[in-house]
Amino acid sequence: MKTKSDDSVIRATDLTKRFGEIVAVDGVSFQVKKGETYGLLGPNGAGKTTTMRMISGLSPLTAGKLTVAGIDVTSQAREVRNVLGVVTQEDGLDTDLDAKSNLIVYGYTAGLSRADAEKRADAVLMFFDLTDKAHEEIDYLSGGMKRRLAIARAFMTSPRVIVLDEPTTGLDPQGRNRVWQELETMKQGGVTILMSTHYMDEAAALCDRLAIMHHGRILAEGTPDELVNRHAGSEVAQVRVSNGVRRDVVDWIGDAGFDYRDAGAVITVTSRNGARPDLSGLAGVRVSYRPSNLEDVFLTMAGRGLTDDE
Amino acid sequence: MMAATASTYIAGVRLRSIAGIWYRHFLVLRRNLLTSISWYFVEPFVILVAIGIGVGTLVNDVQGVPYARFITPGVIVGSAMFHAVFECAWGGFMRIQKGVYETTLTAPVSTREVAMGDIFWSMTRTIVTAVCIGTVAAAFGWIDNLSGVGVLLPAALVGVQFGALGLIFAALSPNVHILSLTFTVVASPLYFLSGAFFPISSMPDWVEPLAWAAPLTPSVHLARGFVTGDLAMSHLFAGLYVVAWIAVLFPIAATLLHRRLVK
Repeated sequence: MKTKSDDSVIRATDLTKRFGEIVAVDGVSFQVKKGETYGLLGPNGAGKTTTMRMISGLSPLTAGKLTVAGIDVTSQAREVRNVLGVVTQEDGLDTDLDAKSNLIVYGYTAGLSRADAEKRADAVLMFFDLTDKAHEEIDYLSGGMKRRLAIARAFMTSPRVIVLDEPTTGLDPQGRNRVWQELETMKQGGVTILMSTHYMDEAAALCDRLAIMHHGRILAEGTPDELVNRHAGSEVAQVRVSNGVRRDVVDWIGDAGFDYRDAGAVITVTSRNGARPDLSGLAGVRVSYRPSNLEDVFLTMAGRGLTDDE
Repeated sequence: MMAATASTYIAGVRLRSIAGIWYRHFLVLRRNLLTSISWYFVEPFVILVAIGIGVGTLVNDVQGVPYARFITPGVIVGSAMFHAVFECAWGGFMRIQKGVYETTLTAPVSTREVAMGDIFWSMTRTIVTAVCIGTVAAAFGWIDNLSGVGVLLPAALVGVQFGALGLIFAALSPNVHILSLTFTVVASPLYFLSGAFFPISSMPDWVEPLAWAAPLTPSVHLARGFVTGDLAMSHLFAGLYVVAWIAVLFPIAATLLHRRLVK
């Protein structure tokens, strides 16, 4: 996990964004290394999109320092967009043009010659398996196709770094799968990917490293396995309690120093650092165990974060 | 324009950005050629012929020329205004809402260049419509001297002026209902205030200075000068007055668009 400073493609230091009184991004720092897929994981409103927009040069920083491929985003927002492929959260497709023209216009505007834009559009359509939709009206494409077309558009200029804001939000399972496959192929091709998502399974499947964001801050960073191990242990315990003893059980778990979430019929108890919560001292309840996952990490940390704020 | 290489800048303006946006609009036009013809051709043709000949039978010559001939410059310039407003106010608003501008900005394009690209296209549109109506008018003999070609100048100026104004409304409007005021409260009154359909001297005394100050009026005056071939200093002033409007409106449009798109 050692990093030489020069293989960081994106370096964000104390990145901050305020909208009036609201602090959307509150001093986040992270680095994305060449060729890696890095995920910002968090719920809506965590500051993921604002972070991505700052990196794309589409939203000026309130404070902090940010470089992409060595280019300072604050002073050279335009140059940054020469090296980045950006897929915004909305597909931003032009419904007045057909699928292929969307690609050509973007490619030409971004700097390709018209002949190159045309050639590249064919290649990109083929890669994304959209060749037979080249002349389709945008409105007649499925959600998954629109998303893939938006990603294809970012690839018109063959960028080495791509910024993807929620690549699969709103897609059906099939559509998600397709996008995942294509992102995996890009990754194999050496493209550095920064993506945001609020799907834990997506983050686990695609990302080499993750930052868990909440309320504009990074709560934890690491590989998916590291994060799970460190913050949710190897397994979580699920405790089923009847209402009569609920209070006592919750007190016992709290006193034992475990993190837990009380969701009605089931109390989920997490341990840390690869351990599994030992609830053998707890009598009169049903306990079952399952492997920990990122969702446990997130909910545990978000729960802790909220307590800190109060 | 098409030859603008990826890295040609003039005064900090990346030419390819403008060429790319222009090309986008061109492809949209080409894709919708048949419906566009109604916009460029049929509608102004109907106005010119219906009002020119229809109303023309009811009124005597105006300022010494038949009514159809009198309204020709105003219909050309007025149509240009509606094209510009439609492209930049309505079209611009839709492109904001649908994230089309945002996509453009993910390429190395600035908001100022987005504004310039759209306004440049707006100007192209107004020139095309002026050519279409002008040709019809010439066929009827309502434009019959070579200086009539000069109407393309006020048409182009209106394209830039009202393109900028349209973008201002697009950037400011929170929804389409407010946006529609651009047509009902701004464009239509300006059309009738411009002297296109009746001489400004026939308006009430207190309206006259307002009519002359209104942004479309000088272009109608200038167009009429070209059509009649009777050009004077007042036409030069009229042209400069429109340029002054552009000098004021464009920076406002670019700033407001930036505020709307880059937060």
